[in-house]
Amino acid sequence: MIDIELIEECRDGNFNNFRKLVELTSPMAFSVAFRILCDEDLAKDVVQETMITIWQKLKKIKSVEVYRTWIYRIVVNKCYDELRKRKRHPEFVTDEQTWSLISNRVSEGPSAELENKETEKVISQLTNRLTPKQKTVFVLSDLEQMTNDEISEITGMSKSGIKSNLHYARKNISEMIEKYL
Amino acid sequence: MEQESEKYKKVLEILRNSQPVLDSTDDIENEVIKRISKINEPRPNLLNLIDFLFGWVYIGWVRNGLITASVILVMFFIWQQSIILKRIDLLSRQAIIENVETISNPASEVERGIMMYKLSGRRLPSRNLTISEKQMNQLLDSVNELQTKYKDLIKLIEDDPELKSSIEKKLKEHNQKKTKI
Repeated sequence: MIDIELIEECRDGNFNNFRKLVELTSPMAFSVAFRILCDEDLAKDVVQETMITIWQKLKKIKSVEVYRTWIYRIVVNKCYDELRKRKRHPEFVTDEQTWSLISNRVSEGPSAELENKETEKVISQLTNRLTPKQKTVFVLSDLEQMTNDEISEITGMSKSGIKSNLHYARKNISEMIEKYL
Repeated sequence: MEQESEKYKKVLEILRNSQPVLDSTDDIENEVIKRISKINEPRPNLLNLIDFLFGWVYIGWVRNGLITASVILVMFFIWQQSIILKRIDLLSRQAIIENVETISNPASEVERGIMMYKLSGRRLPSRNLTISEKQMNQLLDSVNELQTKYKDLIKLIEDDPELKSSIEKKLKEHNQKKTKI
């Protein structure tokens, strides 16, 4: 949990406290970046860039209450930029190993967990055919378990837009699960 | 359809449980602090100015080209301005003397001054004439003094008939010598 006082002190330019803020903020920023980008190194780069942007613009945020949403917005925007840079896959390539991994974990039960590398492969396989918007909405809604209001604030999308993107994302992923699992 | 939904939920639950682990928080912290320290280092004013003026250009060679072009333009402007200022200075000095010529005051001293100016103007091209107001006043004073002395001398000669006849004789001899030559 990020302390409001800590953010206030960082807003006053306290350099030492910013280290604490980085320590507390990095995991949540990394989680979203990693799940959207499906690339650990790239996600770490995004986290670094996000922290530098936070330091530069922390004084500009109107209230510390919006800090969490504000961080996610920066992360998502940076992830968007990275996704746009990437070349789209011309064809969807099915990775049998990944599907067998998913199958194994599903059979293990709800307590099963994946390592970073495995998570990377699984999310990448499931969201391969999604657009950046659909992928972002899916990650924020279904994996990070945010509300539509929060997603709307973070992405700047309308609620109807979020619903439709989420619908297409879920439909697409469900179809793939049905087909390959 | 229900079974498909179940599979989707199971996969989703595994992904939710598998929170991405950021193992190198310290590395990120250190890197962020290092980069922020660099940002906070005071930069030369010139670099700040260049960033302010050309920060909107992202292509390196375009930015460098614009900087070079603007430096050349500024240098050309300064050179042109210095030439214009020199010309204005020169013209203003000439204008002081020309103003004397246009003064409607019929005072004899001014008229004599104009005459002297014209005399000296014949000797010197007008563009090279750099007589200051002080020098002009000195010249007029000396002309007045000379004229007074001349009047005194004439009076002295007229008062003394012997001296007058002697001078006339000398002048005649002098004129004769000139004719012979």
